[in-house]
Amino acid sequence: MTSTLTTHRSLSSLRDFFSTERILICFNGPTSRTLISEIGVALKEHIESSSESVSAAMDVFSVYIEMSQNIRHYAGAMAYCDADATATVVIAETSDGHYVVSAGNVVQVGDGASLVERVTSLSTLDKSGLKALYKEQLRQPRQEGARTGAGLGLIDVARKSSAPLQCSLDELGGGKAFFTIRATI
Amino acid sequence: MTQGTGQLTGGSNLTLQASSSTPAVTADWEQGVLSMVGESYPENTYEIFDDIISWVELYLHECERPLRVELQLNYLNTSSIRAMIDIFDRLQAAFDAGRTLSVSWLYDSRNPRSAEMGEEFKEDYTFDFEIAVFND
Repeated sequence: MTSTLTTHRSLSSLRDFFSTERILICFNGPTSRTLISEIGVALKEHIESSSESVSAAMDVFSVYIEMSQNIRHYAGAMAYCDADATATVVIAETSDGHYVVSAGNVVQVGDGASLVERVTSLSTLDKSGLKALYKEQLRQPRQEGARTGAGLGLIDVARKSSAPLQCSLDELGGGKAFFTIRATI
Repeated sequence: MTQGTGQLTGGSNLTLQASSSTPAVTADWEQGVLSMVGESYPENTYEIFDDIISWVELYLHECERPLRVELQLNYLNTSSIRAMIDIFDRLQAAFDAGRTLSVSWLYDSRNPRSAEMGEEFKEDYTFDFEIAVFND
């Protein structure tokens, strides 16, 4: 059974899709810490060279790192098999000069629901509210065995975004769901 | 000279090579200087921060000389920021107990985000915390 994407024509149409959607870098599959880091470096260098703003590059890089590391920590803590431990990450440009970082992964339905709740509650806060919450979270004692970061990392992502975070949860059956988060920088 | 992850003892220096996601670290016992240069976003912060925190604790407890911390950090992920807080909290406790110490946060003039990060750290502490451009 050959994948339809092995033909030149379909790969070319996939490439057209990426161009139309202004996708700079995207990734879908099993991750490694080196892969996350290498994609991040490529992303940062690309934005630094194509935009005037080093701040924009740093913000996109930072949001990408927090999202990707959250996914890796979660999959690690859940001891997911390879098929469930994959990450889907897309970094795109918008026509008005913003960047959109989206990341998705398989989660337990209950965890997904609390994430949606958390993202929704963050979207009600303004910049100073987010800063206060960030400082408070920074001082929280770390819980042993906590699925690290998802607290502080998520607030940091919200602080670097120019619009409220968006998210969604698609149930996959078997108690699992696909969680997607989207940040506009 | 300790090359990291060894058992640190009083009087030891610490040297950690930079990697793509960790800064270069040098801690000089005789000079009383801890320096970190680069970016810090390792998946697990204990990879480098356990050693750094151990060195700082030893230095603060086993000698009485001043400590100067020089930081040139372009980017920190949130878990590294937490680990830096663990270092700064120890510095604050020593400062409150009368120790002479200071932090210099040096940033690249092209990267205002690094300056902002330094400012956010600084506002939580009362010891001498200088923020300056290193490449004007």
